[in-house]
Amino acid sequence: MQAQERSYKSQKVIDRMAKKLNRQIAGSLAACVHCGNCTDSCHYVLANPGDPTYAPAYKADRIRRIFKRHFDWTGGVLPWWVKAGSVFTDQELEELKDVAFGKCTNCRRCSLNCPMGVDFAVVNRMTRGLLVSVGVMPAGVAVVSKDQWEIGNQMGVLKEDYVETIQWMSDELVEALGEPAAAIAIDKPGCEIMYTINPREAKYDPRTISDAAKIFHAAGESWTMPSEGWDMTNFGLFSGDDDLGGVVARRVYEKAIELGAKRVVMSECGHGYRSTRCEGPNWAGMDVPFPMESSVVTMLRYINEGRIKVDKTRNTTPVTYHDSCNNARSCGMFEEPREVLNLVVTDFREMYPNRAENYCCTGGGGAMSMSEYTPQRLKSAKVKADQLRATGAKVVVTSCHNCVDGLVDLIRHYKLDMKVTQLVNLVSDALVIEKRAAVPVTEIAAALVLAGRRILVVDDEPDVRTFLTAMLEDNGATVFAAADGNECLALARKERPDLITLDLSMPGMDGGKVFEAIRKDPELAKVRVCIITGKPELRKLIYERDVTPPEGYLDKPVSEETLLTNVRRILEITGEHKAH
Amino acid sequence: MAMFKAGDIELEIDEDGFIQEPDKWTEGIATALAVTEGVDDLTDRHWKLVRYLREYYLKFGVAPMIRKLCKDTGFKLNEVYEMFPTGPAKGACKVAGLPKPTGCV
Repeated sequence: MQAQERSYKSQKVIDRMAKKLNRQIAGSLAACVHCGNCTDSCHYVLANPGDPTYAPAYKADRIRRIFKRHFDWTGGVLPWWVKAGSVFTDQELEELKDVAFGKCTNCRRCSLNCPMGVDFAVVNRMTRGLLVSVGVMPAGVAVVSKDQWEIGNQMGVLKEDYVETIQWMSDELVEALGEPAAAIAIDKPGCEIMYTINPREAKYDPRTISDAAKIFHAAGESWTMPSEGWDMTNFGLFSGDDDLGGVVARRVYEKAIELGAKRVVMSECGHGYRSTRCEGPNWAGMDVPFPMESSVVTMLRYINEGRIKVDKTRNTTPVTYHDSCNNARSCGMFEEPREVLNLVVTDFREMYPNRAENYCCTGGGGAMSMSEYTPQRLKSAKVKADQLRATGAKVVVTSCHNCVDGLVDLIRHYKLDMKVTQLVNLVSDALVIEKRAAVPVTEIAAALVLAGRRILVVDDEPDVRTFLTAMLEDNGATVFAAADGNECLALARKERPDLITLDLSMPGMDGGKVFEAIRKDPELAKVRVCIITGKPELRKLIYERDVTPPEGYLDKPVSEETLLTNVRRILEITGEHKAH
Repeated sequence: MAMFKAGDIELEIDEDGFIQEPDKWTEGIATALAVTEGVDDLTDRHWKLVRYLREYYLKFGVAPMIRKLCKDTGFKLNEVYEMFPTGPAKGACKVAGLPKPTGCV
């Protein structure tokens, strides 16, 4: 039999695959048993139930067959049994492109749900990288990659335009606050923080830059924005091109080293966070000598340390939180954004599923820059639309610019009455600006921060009552404890506490009814309520009651730090809830 | 590619609704595109912004930075977002007949 002739590009793809097969990829290619668990975890499949070509295992088989044929011994012995195959024509590469770029956002939800530990997203990213290496890619990916290679950021923003934009935001902030010290310093050496952003902030919507600057200023932070190496996004993650990934990440690291910054903080961008903080050092082959963190973590730290003050009653619209795949599933940032939300909004409703199990915004993996796949992207977004609608929230918060755009697109397509925003905007809105430098951390720890406060702890579990009581008393509060709803209401009327911490699942009268009874009792109009429950899924049931929502809502187990921060913030809120 | 009709003109648009031939742009097309971006009535202020974007694009081949746009037209940042709720990148650029901006937008 005469061997089929192979195109030059196809041969290159096969040759280069040999170099890409690390243990993780080879394991993922070898281990699939086609059990079908991944099928139900993919939003493309769920929105296209009749189309098996969206199944992660099916998509992986497009590249797995080549692996079996050329690199795995099973393909040499029993090629027909293991469905080994190859690529021969440029047309086949185009078809592979439509799978790797058009039918997967690399969100890794299937990876998380694979009992065999197959990470389809790394296989898909490798496939993208192989295709890109022979010039087979969507036009949008090519344009953006070129800008990142040549100009140094993904939107081709020139240095002078970037600097002028930062100065513009700086001037407006100084004017708004009447405070020259609020100016944004560019390239200031020796700062605690070098702040990096997503180019869309500079090019199209710099409001997030001024909001972040306002927060840094209020915290009395020593910070700067670099004139170069300021783009922390990285199309190398999307295109699978590790060389591009390394060049882009290195620009950020080298600039931070040059400026002597002690820490790099990244604005809310999921893929940028993952690329710069988690993948970049590998791509760049560099030991990065400073910590890197998301601005979400920075903002939470400021609130916890008392460096900024926030008033959550300024954000009363019901909000839900969308976990970005890169922040949450790939980098484990679940709780920090929720802790911030608990402190800056009055009505936060969980979306289901959430955290690592959340569905993709459907615009991930660079999908927003590939118009050719927009119709199938929007069709698959039905899953996300249903999920958003079920929350009943009017605002969806996300810590990812890519998710912002993906969500805005699908909200419009499915005509949902929702807005999209980011934590930096909400923190900025809730920010209480005081005259410079807040109280140093050590002093806060030294003083009894809850001295003079009366708190009623309600929980049916004695251990929890003891734990909460001890922590609150240690910080100076006078604490009463109740084991059920009736006892709670009786004690509340007798002792008139400033705050009630309320469990939801209790024998007898459940916490929801107790909460409503507190709210409807005019004598208890000044009492604030913080729900502390092991059942976060009950959140919506509480917020949907026709009474003023609770001032706080914490999930068990609750740490001492989180409890104290929230209790302090809640007690700082003045005013009575509306009588119903 | 899908076709977009405004009056008796028919133009190709990409899957995100951006027209593909900027030189065939007309004010009638702009008015019709604006409706797809949730702007039912283009006021003089809208037109000022749209014409600026179009002229800038024809001259330089790219969309301007929001800084340039605000500086040259005198609009405040928030006014731009009030006029085009979907923002300058998607809303205003689409109406002005520019191609879809590249990158994470």
